[in-house]
Amino acid sequence: MTDAVAAQESLESILKGEILRMYQEVADKPEGEYHFFHGREAAELFGYDPAWLDRAPAGAVASFAGVGNPHLRSAIQPGETVVDLGSGAGLDAIIASWSAGASGKVIGVDLNPSMCLKAQAHAAASGTRMECHQGQMENIPLPDASADVVISNGVINLSFRKRKVVEELFRVLKPGGRLSFTDIVSAKQLSQSIVNDPKLWAS
Amino acid sequence: MFRLLEESGFTRVRSVVVPHFRFRKPATQSSAEAYGVKAVLFTATRPAPG
Repeated sequence: MTDAVAAQESLESILKGEILRMYQEVADKPEGEYHFFHGREAAELFGYDPAWLDRAPAGAVASFAGVGNPHLRSAIQPGETVVDLGSGAGLDAIIASWSAGASGKVIGVDLNPSMCLKAQAHAAASGTRMECHQGQMENIPLPDASADVVISNGVINLSFRKRKVVEELFRVLKPGGRLSFTDIVSAKQLSQSIVNDPKLWAS
Repeated sequence: MFRLLEESGFTRVRSVVVPHFRFRKPATQSSAEAYGVKAVLFTATRPAPG
């Protein structure tokens, strides 16, 4: 392994740790102030139907940390299998389950196993079901061609290896399957000092 | 990202800027604006055979 590869892997490991810490903090202290909007305020900013936010468990709404609204274009149909990549406290997965219905299936994937437990608890509290698997978006723990729809909200931008993530999205989708996700993009190349600062990635 | 999606085999790739996205803290928002940072909603389809 070259020094550059080792350094990259080390930084990636640190980054994932910082991401875990940041989003765990949002889940544990939703009343806190962060660099980004979160909770109901953020969801309403991005066009989430207030009726959804009234219907979903308060804990799932309070810990929402997305950057947009993938439901605007997801067109989830009853009976479909939906994967929520980076499912967090479960708000998007729960909303997806309302469209997929009892004959459908919603599967969350999250780096943080405790968030998986939280999301499943929120889903159960809302009268719906979801699976959740702990895992990395660069190696989605799901079989090939298993999803009709993949949604994701402000997560893919947290990866060092976006090409691998996109290849995984392609792999897990069924032929004809659909993707609807939000991502943070920048018009300009970020400086290396920014790229190397894990705290800025998770802000 | 748009190019990544197409290169990976996705079709019907579309994108739209998320209106109203911004950071909470003014200093963070200023820095983000300097780099043209925005949130974008992407959609794409894995092609079906035939």
